[in-house]
Amino acid sequence: MPIVVNVDVMMAKRKMSLNELSEKVDITISNLSVLKTGKAKAIRFSTLEAICRVLNCQPGDILEYVD
Amino acid sequence: MTKKKDFVLDLLNVASWIIFIGLSIEAGAIIFNYFYCLFNPVGAGNIYKGLDLSQLYQDHFGHFNAVMSFVIVIAIMKAYLFYLVVKIFMKLNLVQPFSTEIAKLIEKISMEAFAIVIVSFVAVQYTKRLVNGGMDVDRIGEFWGDIASFLMMAAIVYIISRIFNKGIELQNETDLTI
Repeated sequence: MPIVVNVDVMMAKRKMSLNELSEKVDITISNLSVLKTGKAKAIRFSTLEAICRVLNCQPGDILEYVD
Repeated sequence: MTKKKDFVLDLLNVASWIIFIGLSIEAGAIIFNYFYCLFNPVGAGNIYKGLDLSQLYQDHFGHFNAVMSFVIVIAIMKAYLFYLVVKIFMKLNLVQPFSTEIAKLIEKISMEAFAIVIVSFVAVQYTKRLVNGGMDVDRIGEFWGDIASFLMMAAIVYIISRIFNKGIELQNETDLTI
């Protein structure tokens, strides 16, 4: 998939574990794993907003287009 | 509303089981009677529900076997069709109804109904030839059933299976939407 999700990179920068992110964003760990492993087909704006707010970053820091 | 829906589903489930058992008994009885009259020609006078093919048995044994083959195959196919319907009710999960298994069963039902149409059509043409040749086939037409009904069922169920497959696609996308 051309869109790569770099949420684990931001998690490492913010020193946040998957469990902690899952609790703060209110998404299950399995859904976060789906996102991390690039299996997600779509992401809701509300979810993206929550992740950006918790990780204090921009959407472009998490989503990357790779040709 | 949910209780009413469940009641309707339960009713349909029970009805499907009754029809499946009835059709299985019918197929079994026809098969048994066919093999019985191979050894005892008197049996050809009442194959099933008063069907009298004794004349055909005596004069054209080959045609008798062919006609009985059609009757048996169609009876088995009808029983199998309702077995598939019963299987759907067993596998159906209303919490997550769009599963690949159910989609395949629905497709199988449509294919099976279409197959019944094809075999029934061939049987009708075959017995027409026999009748035109002056042979007595009694009320054999009753065993083919209404071809148009099965064709309509096959078409509608096929459309439903396409829609169901689209539903599975949409559900998969929703499941993978975070």
